[in-house]
Amino acid sequence: MKPFGYQRAADVPGAVAMLAQAPHGAFLGGGTNLVDLMKLGVATPDTLIDVRRLTSDQIEDLPDGGVRIGAAVPNSDLAADCRIRWRYPVLSEALLSGASGQLRNLATTGGNLLQRTRCVYFQDLSTPCNKREPGSGCSEREGYNRELAIFG
Amino acid sequence: MGRGPWPPDAGEGGIVDAEIMLRVDGAGHRLVVDTRTTLLDALRERLGVTSPKKGCDHGQCGACTVLLDGRRALSCLALAVAHQGAEIVTAAGLADGDGLHPMQRSFISHDAFQCGYCTPGQIMSAVGMLREAEAGWPSAVSADPKADEVALDDAEIAERMSGNLCRCAAYANIVPAIADVARR
Repeated sequence: MKPFGYQRAADVPGAVAMLAQAPHGAFLGGGTNLVDLMKLGVATPDTLIDVRRLTSDQIEDLPDGGVRIGAAVPNSDLAADCRIRWRYPVLSEALLSGASGQLRNLATTGGNLLQRTRCVYFQDLSTPCNKREPGSGCSEREGYNRELAIFG
Repeated sequence: MGRGPWPPDAGEGGIVDAEIMLRVDGAGHRLVVDTRTTLLDALRERLGVTSPKKGCDHGQCGACTVLLDGRRALSCLALAVAHQGAEIVTAAGLADGDGLHPMQRSFISHDAFQCGYCTPGQIMSAVGMLREAEAGWPSAVSADPKADEVALDDAEIAERMSGNLCRCAAYANIVPAIADVARR
């Protein structure tokens, strides 16, 4: 893994300012995807800005009947929350259908949105991948094309 | 991608060290780690706590499972520097002196392992999993995901323990070992 600096901001504007100063930096939530990609050499941030304890880990009821989910809410808490289970069961079931109990305990809601594709070629530096290296080609078109994700 | 070190206080080769404190199996430790150090490597290589095992090192096998601030988590994907002050329990710290934890005794009495490499992770995952079930957390196979209480049948245990792989395939005894503790 390439060396990197580690920072924790006091507040959200501070975290944004830190990232602005570190153009090759990345926000760190639970790290379940980012740390893995860093081990593989796919992600090479020079600074990690830890926002896990900075953003909300609460699920709030809103006046219009909806909920606001904090970026630091772990996947496991979100899936188990009674409001989500009763009012948004697809969200709960989708979370429980992915990863494992140990991963869901670490993974955050915000991090989930920033998760990169699970495509095997994206994670393999020895193969071309347009997403990892724009213009290098897409190995998936003629290759193994299961376990992809829609986003990322 | 050949990027220069940042922040500027990085040492030779861009390596950045950070001082952290961890509580492991009840004992406090202060140590300086390279920011790249995972909790698993901090435990095994720096503190000599070798019960969490390095299997895949990519979050897929569960051999490195510990309780991190009371919840089961993969120590191979957690950066030590991001868990300053964390309370960690490993399989080595579950026992009360010479008195083994009920989950440890159940794994022995059910012969729930062969080579034993995945066992500390299996046991820590099972302990964390039972807490989650007690809290009423549903799983992907729960018949009624809205139910307040969880009935841990074999299918529930297998699903909830799916993050722990056993290359010896001792699952046929692991599931009954966990079920036995769950019934108590």
